Amino acid sequence: MKKYLVLIIFLATFIRLSAQQKQLPLDDRGKYIYYEVVDTKTVNKDSLLQRAEFFINKVYKKSMKQESSTDSSVLASGTLVIDKTLLVAGHPSGEVKYNFTVEIRSGKYRFWLTDFEYIPYQRDRYGNFVATTNIGTPLEKAPGKLNSGQWKDILGGVSVKATKFGEDFKKVLATSRSEKAKKKEETISTKKW
Amino acid sequence: MKKLLTAIFAIASTTCALAQETPASPLEISGSVDTYFKYDFAKQPNNILTSFASDHNSVSLGMIDLALKKKTGKASFVGELSFGPRGQTQSIPDAASGNSSFHIQNLYINYDFSDKFAMTAGYMGTFIGYEVISPVGNFNYSTSYLFTSGPFQNAGIKATYKFSDKVSLMAGLFNDWNVYSATRGVSSVGGQLMVAPVEGWTAYLNVLSGAGGGGYGTIEDLTTAYQITEKFKLGLNAANYDIDNDGGGYSGVALYPQYAVASAVTLGLRGEYFKTKDVGAVTGTKYTAVTLTANIKSGGLTFIPEVRLDHNGDKPFLKNNGLSAPNAGQFSLAAVYAF
Repeated sequence: MKKYLVLIIFLATFIRLSAQQKQLPLDDRGKYIYYEVVDTKTVNKDSLLQRAEFFINKVYKKSMKQESSTDSSVLASGTLVIDKTLLVAGHPSGEVKYNFTVEIRSGKYRFWLTDFEYIPYQRDRYGNFVATTNIGTPLEKAPGKLNSGQWKDILGGVSVKATKFGEDFKKVLATSRSEKAKKKEETISTKKW
Repeated sequence: MKKLLTAIFAIASTTCALAQETPASPLEISGSVDTYFKYDFAKQPNNILTSFASDHNSVSLGMIDLALKKKTGKASFVGELSFGPRGQTQSIPDAASGNSSFHIQNLYINYDFSDKFAMTAGYMGTFIGYEVISPVGNFNYSTSYLFTSGPFQNAGIKATYKFSDKVSLMAGLFNDWNVYSATRGVSSVGGQLMVAPVEGWTAYLNVLSGAGGGGYGTIEDLTTAYQITEKFKLGLNAANYDIDNDGGGYSGVALYPQYAVASAVTLGLRGEYFKTKDVGAVTGTKYTAVTLTANIKSGGLTFIPEVRLDHNGDKPFLKNNGLSAPNAGQFSLAAVYAF
């Protein structure tokens, strides 16, 4: 009995922690946005542009599509999969469509994700989670009292995924692909002491 | 049950630990629980003989359904078990164990040879039809005659080739319907063409030929759904089943319009026409059924109030006094929780 109580308390704590995830801020249009400005004195504008396109078309190619580009900006759209966590495992609960913009100037760049639209997943006859509809609900559209708790979790999930996306993007823009290709994986030789 | 839960937690914990060392998707755990109250207007249990929700004037159990999925590299598995009347005695293959065991809903292994080509082997939910066993996968809580008469699951091996996001083709070899191991050998061949002509509209053209319900026969099936607007969705299922040597079969069509009246409330209608075919000198019979259903969602919970009216001129239904009747009706209220 004691074991079950500990388990229940642990579960309750975990669920509570999940619910306290932070949300994205709103922009001047009243839309949720993930926005960052990054200073990068060492990389020139063309390299940044190339790396941004590499990120969209190679690193995130399964979930992103490049829409257009100029000599100083790239526009793309994509989806983030939101997970529902149960104890230490979980499953995808839905996906969020977004628009992605990166603008580059000499010595710095900025990027943002916005126009988030949520599409819930449902388990299909084979046990796989698939989209229930093709029409998304804007994240700003509150779903009413009945589903407000779930919506908060979704907003928290989007914030986590968008932050991870931002970290991945900054990492790619800070890394030269040619240098990366040249750099061999470190090996350990047992021939020398 | 306790052992099973312990095993699930152990697997989940192990997965969490291993996830730091190998690039693999986490173990997915999902499932559902459902319960219902049904009142037959003629106070007759089993008056409308479609699958599930059979009790009258009783708060009764559906099933608890537990599903595990994991993908490592190109290989994945799904294992899904159900316990409770909907997932045991009413899901057919359990009869051999005296209707007391759990039921396997899905148990298969999949391998993605490429982004376009995959092969799957095991016991899988059927690719035929619109409705499924799991209450989470259906809008209506009661089921159609088409669902009840068709296969529930198929064991076999299938290959799927995805030409694009709009077209894919599946072909496979299967055992007879709803059995864990073949009683008549790998006796069926099946195929599915999926087309998505416009965004939001998906159609499946299905064929299954071989050993099935009532003998050897062939089912042709069309299952399609179109999300026409944000609020309005239309589904359709049409099927024809011919059993060889005048062994009967069925044909029918069901239409599923659904309209979201609020963010948490959707109303849906199921209109069905269903006909069993003549078996020798015994003539078939025709059913029409109309079901009005609401889905009220709050998080993982869905309340499903439903009114259903069925008609058959051959009077297969019962009145209050036990005499035969051409009409039957029922009200049900179900609660389904998906996690």
